[in-house]
Amino acid sequence: MDSEDDMHDANDAESMDDDYYSGDTAVEYSEDDDDGDDDGDYEFDNDSVDSDDVSTSRRQQKNYIALKEADIRQHQENEITTISTVLSISRVDASILLRHYHWSVSNVHEVWFADEDRVRKAVGLLERPVVRFPNAKELTCGICFESFPLDRISSAACGHPFCNLCWRAYMSTSIDGGPGCLMLRCPDPSCGAAIGQDMINLLVSEEDKEKYARYLLRSYIEDNRKTKWCPAPGCEYAVEFVVGSENYDVSCLCSYGFCWNCTEEAHRPVDCGTVAKWIMKNSAESENMNWILANSKPCPKCKRPIEKNQGCMHMTCTPPCKFEFCWLCLGAWSDHGERTGGFYACNRYEAAKQEGAYDETERRREMAKNSLERYTHYYERWATNQSSRQKALADLHQMQTVNLEKLSDKQSQPESQLKFITEAWLQIVECRRVLKWTYAYGYYLPEPEQAKRQFFEYLQGEAEAGLERLHQCAEKDVQAYLGAEPPPTDFNDFRTKLAGLTSVTRNYFENLVRALENGLSDVDSQGASSKTATAKSVAAFGKGKSGRGKSSRAGGPSKNSDDHGFWTCDQCTYFNTRSLPTCEMCHQPRRNA
Amino acid sequence: MASPSQASLLLQKQLKDLCKQPVDGFSAGLVDESNLFKWSVVITGPPDTLYEGGFFNAVMTFPSDYPNSPPAVRFTSEVWHPNVYSDGKVCISTLHPPGDDPNGYELASERWTPVHTVESIVLSIISMLSSPNDESPANVEAAKEWRERRGDFRKKVSRCVRKSQEML
Repeated sequence: MDSEDDMHDANDAESMDDDYYSGDTAVEYSEDDDDGDDDGDYEFDNDSVDSDDVSTSRRQQKNYIALKEADIRQHQENEITTISTVLSISRVDASILLRHYHWSVSNVHEVWFADEDRVRKAVGLLERPVVRFPNAKELTCGICFESFPLDRISSAACGHPFCNLCWRAYMSTSIDGGPGCLMLRCPDPSCGAAIGQDMINLLVSEEDKEKYARYLLRSYIEDNRKTKWCPAPGCEYAVEFVVGSENYDVSCLCSYGFCWNCTEEAHRPVDCGTVAKWIMKNSAESENMNWILANSKPCPKCKRPIEKNQGCMHMTCTPPCKFEFCWLCLGAWSDHGERTGGFYACNRYEAAKQEGAYDETERRREMAKNSLERYTHYYERWATNQSSRQKALADLHQMQTVNLEKLSDKQSQPESQLKFITEAWLQIVECRRVLKWTYAYGYYLPEPEQAKRQFFEYLQGEAEAGLERLHQCAEKDVQAYLGAEPPPTDFNDFRTKLAGLTSVTRNYFENLVRALENGLSDVDSQGASSKTATAKSVAAFGKGKSGRGKSSRAGGPSKNSDDHGFWTCDQCTYFNTRSLPTCEMCHQPRRNA
Repeated sequence: MASPSQASLLLQKQLKDLCKQPVDGFSAGLVDESNLFKWSVVITGPPDTLYEGGFFNAVMTFPSDYPNSPPAVRFTSEVWHPNVYSDGKVCISTLHPPGDDPNGYELASERWTPVHTVESIVLSIISMLSSPNDESPANVEAAKEWRERRGDFRKKVSRCVRKSQEML
């Protein structure tokens, strides 16, 4: 089979989605449909159920848990209980111990059973007092040196006596100083006895008690390797991550998705390093410098950068400089005149250019301009998708708070039946995010790998088109059902269409993410003919998309029947078994059956 | 509580104790009789050290929340030492406010704690004079000299000692 045919096969496999998305005709591909090789492409239908299950379970197998404050407290309590039971120590001691070993139960077990004495010493858990005053009626406070009756003296496990007032001051100074108060020890410099929450609670003000408790709770998240706070502004939830999992993307209960590894916003399919580079690049002054370099020349006198956006070559710098010069040769204008070729040309420049005097600077300017244009291209699209996403989030909110209720009234449907709209919007938001990051991906895709680049741009284009279609449907089509009087009756068709689009788009994007994450490894970058390579990988990608559920089986109207056991519905694009005369979903009769 | 009155009561008490039972190695008093929070101490250069024979004046300034925060100590005599800034400020971990190390990585015994008194602080300074800590020097030049050109260092210290004697 030559590469030409490969190309067709590839497009066939792809065209289903293609059609589904763009809705345009794909007739040019269907002529080859009888090609026996197509069976290969459709074979995946057989195992689509299995692979769908796999991908679904992968999706559901969350490798993280979002924690509310109550959950955090619960987890913390549980771990303290575990340690306290296993090591037979008090809960307060267990808490100090865990805090010291970054809330890792296994770590505590390990060190404790390896050398209990050493751990006790390091953490400051004393088994018996170092000083005793068995018969004293009064004791002298080690801080203020006043004598107090025993009921006004307190001490940690070490027995060093201090009066309650001095304790209180000592503790609140420490609590004011920040989370270091969790490591508070006896004030005696020679003594390292740890001070636990029980003693704090006995001696300090309500406000300080609360502060201390908050530090303790925060410590559970912040000092723990497995947990992080959700970085969304104002969000108070935390996320516990199964360390060692591959997928870093987590989603907090507040619906903010972020990368557990770098705590930037979720950025699959791009890796953390690329994201960091990209963010750095976006914020860096270097782009401004690039622009200035590419689009301006410094005034020969005052060296301020000047952009020439119109007019002749006779430049006059802005006051106070007011230097008059020639834009081309950057020489003083006073040297110019008839003999240098008039106002619109500069013989001096032309002559010098011939000699190669300007080559180096010109070349650098040109390069900066190219690289800037390239960056601007990707950045603009990245930023556009970012703002589209924000807009989609706002629309989703509007939909949930206002329109769903309205729609439910108009169509006399319970809101629970309108979930598909919310789901569509959630999908749009997610897709915008993925699409956004594909632009960072594209920017860093190595230039020489033409095959990959072509393939990537093809996939990205498809993704973009598909998402536009879904967005259009969710944003515009729905208006008909919101506004018109009397409301149109074909609401079920709309439901089928939108749900179908959502599902197809979801699958496409999931495959896209997977393909980009494994570095488009389907593309044989060593391939002699980049065209063939691209075609093959498109085919492979099409197959990869088999994870799509049956309900979303789709195809364009023009290709609503084929020889492989399915026909696709014009109305809802559902993939029906050949034997059915009407669509299983929307009961539309089969066209050209 | 760490009210100013507690601080002044405590300082008053320490002043009285020190007058009654002076401690070897230093003498202490107030800079100005009406202000308990500013002390003047004269530290005798510890025997068998480079500083032997010197009488170094220092001012201790106590915060209002003493003893929960440490005082600042500054030599008014010239002192060439790795742990004394060129303006005379003494840098030892005992005098670091507890807030300086929020994570508590410094050992408990090294940080400021409210049990410290004028006496224990001055004793820390005396011990600092006899064994400089060149790991985290306040005066980098002095630390370098102390480590690499002990002869030069000794000369400079002797000059300080002589100057301090002349000032008496």
